[in-house]
Amino acid sequence: MAKEKKRKQPPSDAAPPTDGEGEGRRERKGKKPKRAKADVILPSQIKNKDKRSELHAKLKREKKAQKRALARERDQAARRAEELGEQPPERQVPRTIENTREPDETVCRPDDQELFAGNDADEFNAVLKQHITPKVLITTCRFNSGRGPAFIEELMQVIPNSHYVKRGTYELKKIVEYAKNRDFTSLIVVHTNRREPDALLIIGLPDGPTAHFKLSKLILRKDIKNHGNPTSHKPELVLNNFTTRLGHRVGRMMQSLFPQDPNFRGRRVVTFHNQRDYIFFRHHRYIFETKEKKVASKDKKAKASESKTKSEKEVICRLQECGPRFTLKLLTLQHGTFDTKSGEYEWVHKPDMDTSRRRFFL
Amino acid sequence: MPRTTVVESPGCPPLRALTTDILGLVKVVEARARPAGAAKVVETWGAPDASRAIVAASLAGRAADPVLAVARKNGVVELLNPLNGDALAAVKTVQYAPNDSDAEVDPLVTLHLFTRQASDSILGTFIACTDKGKASIRSITKENASSSSDVRPSTTWDVCSGGNVQFCSVDHGESYAMFGGKGIEVNLWDITSYSKIWSAKSPRANSLGIFTRPWFTAGTFLCEDDHRKIVACTNNHQVRLYDTALQRRPAISVDFRESPIKAVAADPNGHDVYIGTGTGDLASFDMRTGKLLGCYIGKCSGSIRSIVRHPELPLIASCGLDSYLRIWDTNTRQLLSAVFLKQHLTAVVLDAYFSIEEPGEMGSKELESSREAEAEVRKEKKKKSKIIEEAEAEAEVRKEKKKKKSKIIAEDEDGSAGEEKKKKKSKAIAEDGDAAAAAAEVQNGKKKKKSKTINEDQEEVGVVDHNDSDGEMYARKERKKKKSRTIEEDEERDSDGEICTPKRRKSGESSKCLKKKSKKQQIA
Repeated sequence: MAKEKKRKQPPSDAAPPTDGEGEGRRERKGKKPKRAKADVILPSQIKNKDKRSELHAKLKREKKAQKRALARERDQAARRAEELGEQPPERQVPRTIENTREPDETVCRPDDQELFAGNDADEFNAVLKQHITPKVLITTCRFNSGRGPAFIEELMQVIPNSHYVKRGTYELKKIVEYAKNRDFTSLIVVHTNRREPDALLIIGLPDGPTAHFKLSKLILRKDIKNHGNPTSHKPELVLNNFTTRLGHRVGRMMQSLFPQDPNFRGRRVVTFHNQRDYIFFRHHRYIFETKEKKVASKDKKAKASESKTKSEKEVICRLQECGPRFTLKLLTLQHGTFDTKSGEYEWVHKPDMDTSRRRFFL
Repeated sequence: MPRTTVVESPGCPPLRALTTDILGLVKVVEARARPAGAAKVVETWGAPDASRAIVAASLAGRAADPVLAVARKNGVVELLNPLNGDALAAVKTVQYAPNDSDAEVDPLVTLHLFTRQASDSILGTFIACTDKGKASIRSITKENASSSSDVRPSTTWDVCSGGNVQFCSVDHGESYAMFGGKGIEVNLWDITSYSKIWSAKSPRANSLGIFTRPWFTAGTFLCEDDHRKIVACTNNHQVRLYDTALQRRPAISVDFRESPIKAVAADPNGHDVYIGTGTGDLASFDMRTGKLLGCYIGKCSGSIRSIVRHPELPLIASCGLDSYLRIWDTNTRQLLSAVFLKQHLTAVVLDAYFSIEEPGEMGSKELESSREAEAEVRKEKKKKSKIIEEAEAEAEVRKEKKKKKSKIIAEDEDGSAGEEKKKKKSKAIAEDGDAAAAAAEVQNGKKKKKSKTINEDQEEVGVVDHNDSDGEMYARKERKKKKSRTIEEDEERDSDGEICTPKRRKSGESSKCLKKKSKKQQIA
């Protein structure tokens, strides 16, 4: 480093432009003491590539060492606290985009009476209060091919009491009428583009909202390794992270597709997990198994004969994925049933809303 | 550190807004002068009940005993005190329906509460219209308000035979009302005699012979002192200007984006309108020319149900399905404040008399000054508008007389402007001078040249130069005109010093006109 400094210094004194640059640098790092001036030379200021990479590698090494030292220190502190029986120091939480999310006034609060009143008044109330059993009509866009039919087949296994109707050449508004007359509670339209499902339209009936989702990352059952085959039991439902009013509404819409009295015997669970406005759909079977603990085998080495009988039994949960796996992103939420010409939107994604990575709408 | 975005809101002046929502709640939002800027909810009236959802609201803003009327989904019109939320009266309006099931099919859609009071004993008079077009005017007297039974003076008439009424608008003088809706053309009624005095005619079929059914979603009277000009917005994202004195087809029809227009409000300056669409776009239009003045950008993502212009301050309030009440500055088109109100909002009203009750002296002073400023701005605008109108008129006259209708509009505008003029004599003189000049030009049968600066002269010469054959002729004419122009200038200098800005516009217009002419000549 010192050598570097010596070599660097004379030309910087000689040439006025580099001198000016140096001054600027000194101004920037004005808080640091003068003797640390040598350390301040950044790799980007060195023109020779060899020297630059050398310095860069060195800096990197130092940084890494420092980090390791810090980690060790933290570790030791934690261990010491444990020995003394004190509270261990708080674990540091990494800063992610989710936990640095912009404060949002539309986030639902559990003490909000208006929220519950609004829930009682909305379109899904009848289904969610189990006055009506949900009945879902699934149809497609006009030209359905490629993975579309397979996807629908799997979707029908996921959603109980769902019926597929061929689209034919009917207008969607006609189909909505048809479904209303037959007491369907929801209508799902799978839209295919270039033989690949790419959009999902969920319409609440008779006057519920219409949500238009972008569908991506579709993986069918046969492409999932070690997949299971679902039973025809009513699934349990997991809705994660639908926090804002809009998210709440979308979550309720998803909820209204499924019956509200799951068969827990079926051990089947459907998950809608929202993360950064993307809704991840997963479909699993789970099983609780009693299994011998691994620790028991360790004991076995020590005491060979008696370990078998002594080994601890532990209940573990195993998951097996079945059914399709896909990701949804909300594009629009329309008030009323499908109507592109005279529809009113409750929420539309507009490009001028994307001014921050840390603002989410669901 | 994470980058966060903040709305650089300059803060909104003290005001009080009342919003109504689908749970039947009335929320009061106030912005005060002291903690400047932020508007917030101060009161909530009513209990949440979806069956009593408010569909329309109207405020009779008076200095003494103002009344707020709300129409509920179950057919009840309630009169409230907008200061403390006390219910003054409740009337069931759909009582003439034979049975209850029928009443449910035919809900109230619009409501307007009259500002003027016929007598002191009457609490309020309102006009309400149902979906099927049964309009009614009722007065609620103070003695039978508490009994909430049927009300003595009420009149009912049918606005239309079929279709669904979607809006009703009453003019500033409150003697005319207009209705429109799905399958109903805009029609204008004289409320004093309950007679239809005008109805629109749908535009001709387009080049493909396709006829679109009328579907009006919003409408308003354009000017405060003139009930003849109507702005109506359609579901096919059109903003139309009707002149009832002139013709039954729209005078101007402008398209705006792709989604139906759901709300419209007129500016008191008499020519601007604010429109809101089903996807949450808010924009303002100048209805003299049909030009888009600008859009209001503020991350508004839900359908706009209601727009209100503040009578004095230069601001508008909008609300809709995204459950935000937003307050915008109309001059800068900037978002001043956004308040989250948790429910889908149906209507917003602004209390214009709120600021007077403001305890802080500072606030009221500021307000007055801003009001004055606004008034000044409005004056200037009026001046400009007059001049522009004249320019239009001149342009019209200068054109060939094929377009009689359009000319009539222009003249009409001129006439209306003339009425305004009587207030100020000095301007009137200027007008006269201009009018005289215009007349002179008509006699000459030439194009007029308005620009003073050499640059503009050169521009126009450049325009003329396109036309090779007539170039010289033009040059000569210009020389002649220059002489006449000097006289005009003198006149105008007498009248007004600040005419230079509109002048530029004028010259722009005239140059456009020149271009048109030159094209025509080329064709010839």
